[in-house]
Amino acid sequence: MDNSHQKLVGLIKAALVAAIYVVLTIALIMFSYGPVQFRLSEMLNNLAVFHKRYVWALTLGCVIANLWSSLGAVDVIFGSLETFLMTGISYLLSKLVKKTWQKLAIAVVICTFSMWIIALELYVISQAPFWATYLSVALGELGSMILGAILIGIISTKVDLTK
Amino acid sequence: MNKILLGRYLPGSSLIHRLDPRAKLLLSFYFIIIIFLANNWSSYFLLFFFMALTILLAKIKIGFFWKGVRPLIWLILFTVVLQIFFSTGGTVYWHWGILSVTSTGLVSGIYVFCRFVLIIFMSTLLTLTTPPLEIAGAMESLLKPLKKVHFPVYEVSLMLSIALRFVPTLMDEALKIMNAQRSRGVNFDQGSLMQRLKAVVPLLIPLFVSAFNRAEDLATAMEARGYHGGEGRTKYRVHQWLYHDTLSCLAFLALTIGMLLLRNW
Repeated sequence: MDNSHQKLVGLIKAALVAAIYVVLTIALIMFSYGPVQFRLSEMLNNLAVFHKRYVWALTLGCVIANLWSSLGAVDVIFGSLETFLMTGISYLLSKLVKKTWQKLAIAVVICTFSMWIIALELYVISQAPFWATYLSVALGELGSMILGAILIGIISTKVDLTK
Repeated sequence: MNKILLGRYLPGSSLIHRLDPRAKLLLSFYFIIIIFLANNWSSYFLLFFFMALTILLAKIKIGFFWKGVRPLIWLILFTVVLQIFFSTGGTVYWHWGILSVTSTGLVSGIYVFCRFVLIIFMSTLLTLTTPPLEIAGAMESLLKPLKKVHFPVYEVSLMLSIALRFVPTLMDEALKIMNAQRSRGVNFDQGSLMQRLKAVVPLLIPLFVSAFNRAEDLATAMEARGYHGGEGRTKYRVHQWLYHDTLSCLAFLALTIGMLLLRNW
């Protein structure tokens, strides 16, 4: 009973973090979609290093948030796949190190690197030059991930994110 | 808050609104794939004709669709300009250094523009005629076959519906916390980047704490009402595949055949 209760609590926590992702994306909608993407909610990707459940949380958050995007269906598939991969890889790699700042640094690097999926999406649709698009979306991601790493680092000292 | 819960959904009772959300989801993805089959004027014309037909059937004003194009207009113009200036081949109209305007460039620029508009129109049509909860429901039932490879379908769909349900609630809460912090003198939209970032911390911490507390309460409430995992749950809204869903699949089949014919014509 206790075990299944904890499982359910974890599942709901993930769902609520997904909702927080959507809230932050919509609240800052002006910058959240398109090629020069500065989606501040992406900073939550840093959460993945604390617990496996945030991988699900962020993927679902991304699915819901992308339903509002102009490219809709395409963004839902590519964006969510990308979030799933990059948060998943960050989670697995972050198990190798102990300190919180090291874990966060891994997430920043992995997420910036993984933006090639989004660049590929824009390349396939529009034949926009791949490397220039990659550079632009990766810079946006790098910005929000670094800011996010600082923020999540501060928050993790106040709230136990691993539980 | 209703606006956020409903996404871009416009309530209506047209044929497109009444289609099974699963059919709409699959067919709009399929349409986007078919767009890549187009390689000449007549095939793009056919796609636009089909799109216009579905928009007429949905009884939605074209203005709502242009609203979807607007946030992406710079990306579209940028790629169109690149296509025009950097393509080679065909008749050369203008030439300077590595830049040249050729007939091939102009044509492929227009093709890219058409492709963008078609993709955006179709995605917009899906979200305008289907509420997010229905889309989530459709995704759940389409993911069901993945249960065979131990993909946690029930858990994912439960998370999806809880998340959708709590978006407006957490939005309210975020606004409340922001107002509470404002009354204490926090300024969210002024100051340097670092100052603004610092202002977000007292917003996010209460948001996380209250979300985590809520999770405990919600879990207890669900179990008190007899929740015991996803196995054997029934649904309140049951999707029904009707004849007009099959009909729209046939329409897409006809479109595919038309596209293949025009492509090789």
